[in-house]
Amino acid sequence: MAKTNINLNMTSVENREYRLGTIIGWDGKASDLIKESAYDERSAKKHGGCAGKGSGCKLCELSSPLNQETMCSNAIVQCQVGNLTDCALIDHSPIGCSGENSKFNLSMHNGLRRRGKPLQNTLNISTNLKEKDMVFGASDKLRQTILDAKERFNPKAIFIGMACATAIIGEDIDSIAEEMEPEVGVPIIPLHCEGFRSKHWSTGFDVAFHGVLRQIVERHPTKKQNDLINIVALWGSDYFSEMLAPLGLRVNYLLDTASFEEIRQASEAVATATFCDTLGGYMATALEESFGVPQIDAPQPYGIKGTDAWLRAIAKVVGKEKEAEEYIESEHKRIAPKLAELREFFKGKNGIVMTGSAYAHGLISVLSELGIGHDAALVFHHDPVYDGGGEHQDTLKELVETYGDIPHYTVSKTRAFQLPQLLKRAKTDFLLIRHPGLASVAGHLGFPTLTMGDEHIPVGYEGILRIGEMLKGVIARTKFNQVLKRNVKLPYSDWWLAQDDPFYLTHHPEALEDLPEPRNLKLKIGTESNSTSA
Amino acid sequence: MSKKLRQIAIYGKGGIGKSTTTQNLTAGLVEQGKHVLVVGCDPKADSTRLLLGGLHQKTVLDTIRDNKTELQLSDLEKVGFKGVRCVESGGPEPGVGCAGRGIITSISMLEQLGAYTEDLDYVFYDVLGDVVCGGFAMPIREGKAKEIYIVASGEMMALYAANNICKGIAKYAQHGEVRLGGIICNSRNVDNELDLLRAFTKELNTQLIQYVPRNNIVQQAEIRKKTVIEFEPKSSQANVYRELAKNIDENELFTIPTPMTQDRLEQILIDYGMMEKDYQI
Repeated sequence: MAKTNINLNMTSVENREYRLGTIIGWDGKASDLIKESAYDERSAKKHGGCAGKGSGCKLCELSSPLNQETMCSNAIVQCQVGNLTDCALIDHSPIGCSGENSKFNLSMHNGLRRRGKPLQNTLNISTNLKEKDMVFGASDKLRQTILDAKERFNPKAIFIGMACATAIIGEDIDSIAEEMEPEVGVPIIPLHCEGFRSKHWSTGFDVAFHGVLRQIVERHPTKKQNDLINIVALWGSDYFSEMLAPLGLRVNYLLDTASFEEIRQASEAVATATFCDTLGGYMATALEESFGVPQIDAPQPYGIKGTDAWLRAIAKVVGKEKEAEEYIESEHKRIAPKLAELREFFKGKNGIVMTGSAYAHGLISVLSELGIGHDAALVFHHDPVYDGGGEHQDTLKELVETYGDIPHYTVSKTRAFQLPQLLKRAKTDFLLIRHPGLASVAGHLGFPTLTMGDEHIPVGYEGILRIGEMLKGVIARTKFNQVLKRNVKLPYSDWWLAQDDPFYLTHHPEALEDLPEPRNLKLKIGTESNSTSA
Repeated sequence: MSKKLRQIAIYGKGGIGKSTTTQNLTAGLVEQGKHVLVVGCDPKADSTRLLLGGLHQKTVLDTIRDNKTELQLSDLEKVGFKGVRCVESGGPEPGVGCAGRGIITSISMLEQLGAYTEDLDYVFYDVLGDVVCGGFAMPIREGKAKEIYIVASGEMMALYAANNICKGIAKYAQHGEVRLGGIICNSRNVDNELDLLRAFTKELNTQLIQYVPRNNIVQQAEIRKKTVIEFEPKSSQANVYRELAKNIDENELFTIPTPMTQDRLEQILIDYGMMEKDYQI
């Protein structure tokens, strides 16, 4: 009997760490993490099977006394539902929480341009809460802001994003949304995405999807669009259309740059797939469980083997096996000469991927196809299972079984201070990163780094070649980064730079304990250094 | 010679009689000619009712809520029994916003408006019973109240709350000047209450500064919106409050409390009779 894992009756999402057992700290061999993750057991439980009581053993996790990160669930919600073309997002927060709006506006423009859509700005407003609002509550201000959003943007839906401040004072955004909806005449969608809510920002993706699933996706579709496939994505270029056109499919991208109508029709699609199981698992699973749209149970579309399997799984759902085989064969032939050339170029080269979790598994597959060695990787969190829990969705296992083990597999949030140690122990000629903050530190440490804004570049067969070409350019910068390293000073002390273990502070908490006050921490780590800011 | 302003916060378990004790004590001080400001720090805004002969009508947070500009201290302050000055912090309606932040906001506002004038001898902060969050610890942070008195009784939960409050004081005392001035026993007629409180205060490294016996005259005065000192100035209870005022005025014993573990607290309760077999009401 099918088991429902995602409860759309609730307005809030069960955090990733409770739902999936997500961890944010781990260091060791990838093969050991696969063993500890016990994907198969967790998957069996997700499907209502018998694998003992409880939700599975808790995965051991390395804690860190320094717990910075570069994002939170609230920011993720802003870059998801805040990047829809005809829906508004209200940040119910002090203005600082909207500090990244301008960055996400840039992402929106990039995404629209890549997808060939007319350029426009994001439709975001902040309730701009002040001290008085904290003391008395800010419900009236929110009501007024909802009316303002309606008047200013005439949106098809209005989202309300909760922030730490409003969560602490318990703003009742659910009631206000319900109360205002008849007056405003469009769905008003409360999102419980306060920053401190979850230990990892990726819970914010789930919160955004949860909101649209509850209040925008058509509950009772009157028709089926048999040539439409949902691709859960970010802002990447539209490479999926050219891959799926041979199977007679049109792509419905969710959520960034989507319109209300594109989200609404998600339940009319023939299937849901994604460029990254970390991101897409929640949406795909809920569409399957509650709307009858099957999710594609396949490896991710990276590298030759992964892309083959992904296309075949989709072809099976739409009955286009023959077309798929023809396409696969022709693509293999097409890329072979160029791929051989690239493999020759990268012979003896090594690279490190530092990105989000499942996406990193895809990228490492691409490096492997190019013949690039990889004895280390950094991912920002680890989900021992995804919401779908599909037989072919164990992305880390798929990676290791296909392309070999990774001796230094590290799970840690975007903590730039660990880069010196991570880079010291691994063999690498370059880095492949998506988060610019981390990339700049890596660059200053002397490593040519590809900062990849467009996350669809490595997708599919052509993606292998695209990445290969880009990396040739990156490696050509090696000397520049070495010169840069000699001429800049990072804000780390010699004491810290001399350490070999990226988790030194976890393994030696006494390094912090004997310091009475936080300011002395800075002294201890900072005084011996050239503490000039880089 | 310039006078030294003493800023005092009164804490204790909810319902223990902090407001009643504070107001009777301040009545005792103003009778002696002292200049006193009472700051009610409870969202219910009922900490100055007995001194004013009725509820304060305009709280600090009301004025902030109403966006009142060019506010003056006289808009917030009311003068009560024998010239005692009273302000109420106020707060949001129950269930919304953040009352704790409200205390922080309103104390800052009072400071901006210059409420702490040079003629004052005392400022009393009457704080909501349970220190539920950082806002309610405001009076003992940032060098505001430097003297704390805790109202307690022989009941276990009152002592438990007093001990917890001492943990907060001990914490802030490490970095500031806040000190515990003593425990005021507002008697509930618990068996061996006096002995118990003496043992408790000794363990806490403080003193029992006053034992206030239970007396129905307090309730009779309260229903008439008066302190006992105003209602029945010649009663023995009025004299108890005058004595409390005198003890606080002359107090020189200010300590950093040594809060005890739950086990130790329970042991003291057992040792001092509450748990005796022949315990009867």
